[in-house]
Amino acid sequence: MNRLSIEARAVHDGRLRAFLDRFERRVVATPPGMCPVALTTTLLEASAAQTCGKCVPCRDGLPQAAALMGSVLACRATEGDMERLRALAELARDGSDCAIGSEAGAAVLAALDEFADEFASHVQRRRCTEGVGQSVPCETDCPAHVNVPGYIALAGAGDCAGAVAMIRKDNPFPTACAFVCEHPCETRCRRMLVDAPLNIRGIKRYAVDRAAADEVAVPEALPATGRRIAVVGAGPSGLTCAYFAALMGHEVHVYEGRTQLGGMMRFGIPSYRFPRERLDEDIAAILRAGDITVHAGEAVDAAALERLAADFDALYVAIGAHGAKTLRLENEGAAGVFSAVELLGAIGEGEIPDFTGKSVVVVGGGNVAMDCARTAVRCGGEVTVVYRRRLEDMTALAAEVEAAIAEGVEMRPLQAPVGLAVNEEGAVRALITQPQMVGPMKGGRPAPVAADKPETVIAADVVLVAIGQDIVSDPFEAFGMAADRGRFTADNFLVAEGFTNVFAGGDCQTGPATVIRAIAAGKVAARNIDAYLGYNHTLDCGVEAPPAVPNRRVPTGRVAVAERPARERARDFAATEEAMSTEEAAQECGRCLRCDVFGCGSAEGGRIQYA
Amino acid sequence: MPNLIIDGRAVTVPAGTTIVEAAREAGVAIPTLCYLKDVSNVGSCRVCVVEVEGEPELVAACKTPVAEAMVVRTDTPRVAEARRLALDLVISNHGLNSTNFCFSCLKNGDCELQDLCRDLGVETPSFPVPEKNAPVRDANPFLRFDPRLCIGCQRCVGACNNQARNHTLQTVQRGLRAAVEAPFGPDWRATGCESCGCCAAACPTGAIVEKRRADYRAWEVSAVRTTCPHCATGCQYDLLVKDGRIVDTRPADGPSNHGRLCVKGRSGSFDFVQASDRLTTPLIRNCATGALEPAGWDEALDYVAENFKRIIGETGPDSVAAFACSRSANEDIYLLQKMARAAFGTNNVDNCARVCHAPTVAGLAITLGSGAMTNTIADITDTPDVIMMVGSNIEEAHPVIGMQVRAAVERGSKLIVVDPRDIRIAERADIHLKLRPGTNVAFANGFARALIHAGLADDAFIEERTEGFDAFAAMVEEYTPERVAEICHIDPDDLVAAAELYGRADRAPIIYCLGVTEHSTGTEGVMSLSNIALVAGKLGRPGCGVNPIRGQNNVQGACDMGATPADFPGYQKVANPEVRAKFETAWGVALPEKPGLMATECFGAMKDGRIRGLFIFGEDPVRTDADTNHVMGALEALDFLVVDDLFLTETAALADVVLPGRSYAEKEGTFTNTERRVQRIRPAVEIEGTRPDTWIFTEIMNRMGYPQPHLSPAAIMDEVASLTPSYGGISHERLDSAAVAGGGLQWPCPTADSPGTPIMHVGTFSRGKAKFSDAEYRPADELPCGEFPLVLMTGRVLHHYNACAMTARTEGLNAMGDTSFIELNDADAAALGVADGDRVRVESRRGSLVTTARVSPKTSPGETWMPFHFQDGNANWLTNAALDDVCKVPEYKVCAVAVSRAEA
Repeated sequence: MNRLSIEARAVHDGRLRAFLDRFERRVVATPPGMCPVALTTTLLEASAAQTCGKCVPCRDGLPQAAALMGSVLACRATEGDMERLRALAELARDGSDCAIGSEAGAAVLAALDEFADEFASHVQRRRCTEGVGQSVPCETDCPAHVNVPGYIALAGAGDCAGAVAMIRKDNPFPTACAFVCEHPCETRCRRMLVDAPLNIRGIKRYAVDRAAADEVAVPEALPATGRRIAVVGAGPSGLTCAYFAALMGHEVHVYEGRTQLGGMMRFGIPSYRFPRERLDEDIAAILRAGDITVHAGEAVDAAALERLAADFDALYVAIGAHGAKTLRLENEGAAGVFSAVELLGAIGEGEIPDFTGKSVVVVGGGNVAMDCARTAVRCGGEVTVVYRRRLEDMTALAAEVEAAIAEGVEMRPLQAPVGLAVNEEGAVRALITQPQMVGPMKGGRPAPVAADKPETVIAADVVLVAIGQDIVSDPFEAFGMAADRGRFTADNFLVAEGFTNVFAGGDCQTGPATVIRAIAAGKVAARNIDAYLGYNHTLDCGVEAPPAVPNRRVPTGRVAVAERPARERARDFAATEEAMSTEEAAQECGRCLRCDVFGCGSAEGGRIQYA
Repeated sequence: MPNLIIDGRAVTVPAGTTIVEAAREAGVAIPTLCYLKDVSNVGSCRVCVVEVEGEPELVAACKTPVAEAMVVRTDTPRVAEARRLALDLVISNHGLNSTNFCFSCLKNGDCELQDLCRDLGVETPSFPVPEKNAPVRDANPFLRFDPRLCIGCQRCVGACNNQARNHTLQTVQRGLRAAVEAPFGPDWRATGCESCGCCAAACPTGAIVEKRRADYRAWEVSAVRTTCPHCATGCQYDLLVKDGRIVDTRPADGPSNHGRLCVKGRSGSFDFVQASDRLTTPLIRNCATGALEPAGWDEALDYVAENFKRIIGETGPDSVAAFACSRSANEDIYLLQKMARAAFGTNNVDNCARVCHAPTVAGLAITLGSGAMTNTIADITDTPDVIMMVGSNIEEAHPVIGMQVRAAVERGSKLIVVDPRDIRIAERADIHLKLRPGTNVAFANGFARALIHAGLADDAFIEERTEGFDAFAAMVEEYTPERVAEICHIDPDDLVAAAELYGRADRAPIIYCLGVTEHSTGTEGVMSLSNIALVAGKLGRPGCGVNPIRGQNNVQGACDMGATPADFPGYQKVANPEVRAKFETAWGVALPEKPGLMATECFGAMKDGRIRGLFIFGEDPVRTDADTNHVMGALEALDFLVVDDLFLTETAALADVVLPGRSYAEKEGTFTNTERRVQRIRPAVEIEGTRPDTWIFTEIMNRMGYPQPHLSPAAIMDEVASLTPSYGGISHERLDSAAVAGGGLQWPCPTADSPGTPIMHVGTFSRGKAKFSDAEYRPADELPCGEFPLVLMTGRVLHHYNACAMTARTEGLNAMGDTSFIELNDADAAALGVADGDRVRVESRRGSLVTTARVSPKTSPGETWMPFHFQDGNANWLTNAALDDVCKVPEYKVCAVAVSRAEA
């Protein structure tokens, strides 16, 4: 008699699913510095293990390819082996029945191209390329290479002022990053192998709440060098550069077109995410460092730049990206159509619009679009976000999207703007969109294409365009700086193309990015200006990481940062996030595996740090 | 039909055709390795990859169906490189470093991998692989699996699961360590493996082989296409001959087997041909010593002729009789009956259909007009909605048809099994009616009533094409489900459900076998089954019919050739003066008018002296006929007995003259299989000392005064065709022609341009209108009683055939079982104090024997079963020679026995 079992045929399937979670976490937590050949070898071996055993290219070919890859990894392979490896990968890609084989082959071929330099190094030089080698994940992945394990240990030990000092060794904006950092430090946190990454930003928030930045003394500046540095732009990058340069003993002059400092942290990021008074704490501390003179409300033109270049020993241009990209639709100049930069900038200046009873349509899917949408909610509007891809394709942090939805923002994904309707007075009346469907992948995301559905008319009294920003580069180009597609051109050391004493960094050099990347650029610029001026200053932050207690690897949940209830927070501009309690922070700090002390962090070359 | 272009050649093929088959049509050869048409197309080896325009990846031609306007390239450098690399991987994993390389492999020279590597230019395996050390599995008597040589192509898996449908050979340890697990290890007996060898035939390398391959190399043998000599499936295969000896078989794509063979055909069909105990000289009994002594042919044939002439002279021609051999060729049988009728002057000629399917011949002739299978094997196993099998243990008795029935069921056909035992196929049945032996007529009448009451009678068909329905309907009205359930010991709901299942199906063949015929009411049982098909209108169209599966390889032909007492060849009646006149003219002699005695009647006639002389051609009734004591007594009472056989059988040991004849592998001729398909046999070897049986009969005829010229088998078939309308268009020349292409011809085939008749009774029945039988149920002749409380049935097992004259000469088949046993129900065994494996004494009113008990629920309480193959406990000492009224078949399937523990 044929009977059906309610259980899976393979008894392991259920248990395997749970077990696979470990595998997935290990893949995600792949330590920075991994050799791509090693990673590809493990991928290939894992792929070979997944074969059902039917097709020769997969069943027999992948193990042979893995063996060849193993010999490449061991730096024993010849050019002939590489050709065979490529042939086996092509056979697997082209000749397998299913994706287990074909995708394994495609992955190997992609790796061979993507990491051609590494493969060539293994075969020709019989070693990895320079720089390959594991290092402490949080510290490595933080663009500013903040000593994360160190300050977590300090915070865990109750020394929040020490934690702030430790952060400030590499990043003079501990408060800004406590509120708005996208925390790349968490992405490969080794704790993920055990349970989940540490809530590093939450711990930082805990530290700056217990020890406000402007109450923790900045280090003494080094003796004055007599060298003068001009910084154009008082955003996170410019102020970071100013801070470190000043501590090194240089005389720093900061030029800012607006009357208030902070750049996008003040004129872009809404205060419900980063209260202004908390920004002021960071800025106040920075301005106490060494010899810094601020020239607020002094926009510089080409002539001024010429003068600065002549008067100062070095110039750091960090003007951010404040020019709005446009939809390039008719009627974009109609009343009621604004750019995100205009709206958020005005609010930064204290001019809060009243959208009460108005339909507000935000165009875009990035963090700025979410900032606009959530701001518009707080201005009383009924807000809709229109985005041409899917929700999951939005570049905004998932938490931002969720928060916006919770606050009542209507998401209209897969709608591409095609027109703006205006009323008799010439004011915007509606956004007209063409519904989209997702098509084949392009650059890692499915490209939207027009769907066979009629156009949609979305009523709008206000349209906020948040589809990206450019730099306002005119005076700088006149001065002689090169720009390409909305970004200043500079080398990896941030030396502006065509100059030796002019440096450029932050959003104006990378395109709109994050606070922490701008901070990292400011720090790099300060260091490289110091070197350019012939110095090699080192800075002492005055604290040391406490000794590590033995690792506790009992799987424990990640403490989440609570938010104020959506209905309540949507009515004001006060901070939405609540701080961790001491108990929560202690538990969270206790989860840190102290990779600075254990594992590669204790080995020579295992840390990415500046003195 | 899609049009496509392959390497620039346009070709149009039916939708669903794969690229590889389309390419064959277009004359483009695509190399394959793991692909075996209709057996396996999992697309494992990727040696068949091609480029298809618009497809970024290479495509496996073996499993990709064509599409309209497809453009295929098989000859690009990319394709060639991929094929070579795939093949390199395969040959690298072939275990060459673990075994002793090609030259010592049993498949050397016949290895597809070897050939392909040469064709594609893969000269050395270039990938390093670890040495393999999995143990060779070779406990099976015939089959050997060397996992080291396995390339994981899955062809054996396809063979077992898609072709044989036995599902004992599986892939285990899927994934990187995927391996074939061939059930040939020490526990092979417990695996359910039928040892059919389809896997070995499918294996492209030496991984799975028939062990006998060690005896030859592919280039040493020649092949002779012929027909299997065991059951009536008519499988086509080649006999492989090396130095005058048959060393192996190789399956062919015959119409009834399509590349399949069973264990008997593949492994048990040639050892007997060249057995050391073959008779190679005539023997004459020395009257003084009583011993059989070698004699010359002239002496023996003269002695035979003299004695038959003497007896005929003394007591007339009807005091002699001749039994034909149902295993022999049509041409032999035709000449034997001609000898009986024209030279002996008697119609006392019969064949062993008398003890198996004579009720079929008689019963279906009465109801439909022709006593043969109405449809073809392919037709009833292709896509029927429902298959109803009655009294047919098809997996053991007709294994290759069994494989096809299994396939049909797995493709979705519903299955009704009517059988007293839990035969293996009953596991797959939707409804198994485990009825009491001897109650078929009651079952069939009840079934027909249920059809009528369910409104499933085909009124138009009945009205237009049948007669006698009203009387029949009135008769079966008494067979209520409840009454039938009581008679048959089945559930009345099951009976009605089975009728509904069958009746509502569009295509539903009835398949039956000896479980229906071998009863004292066998003919009535057959007619009752035909009633069912008539009520439902399931005759004369595809996927339906009444389909007796004949037993012996040529028992259909033996009946067709007139080796029966009342019929000339082609069922032309002896009693018909016109027919008789035709044969008298053709044969130039006056022929007897009176139908002769049937074989089973002859034994009684021998005992009372009415028959004094008997010529037996290739039969061993001492072992095979019911009530051995009765048969031996009859043969011993004869004045003169001649046996023409391959071996000194127990019957031959009683003969006055023994003549060494020839087997199927030593002669030209034809067999007619169960589906009326006439197929060729051809000589592969010659055994010195033997003579063609046609030569023997011709010599005797001449020596008795009938001038019979020596004719070739082809000329004899021409004579058959000239006298037999249903064979009118059949000749060796035509069967060998390219037009027939080895597919044989199905009679009726009246003219040389007739394509033959796959489905009979289309439009009209052979007898005009079909006739309902109004046979009532009668209990079996011998019912259990206080003294003999158990019912004994008899039947076949997979590995042997009838008296084992052929199969017991293959050691491997004996290793699979060569001793008698009796199947007992557990409850009966418990009551008797008998455990599984105990020795038991089995007694009937006629005899007694000791055998081994097999205790299980396979038989119902009160019922037992024995195979009739094994001489260490031959069931025929026990069976009842009670004869069917119409055609005198003995009641092998029911007799009363007592079982007791045998003293140690």
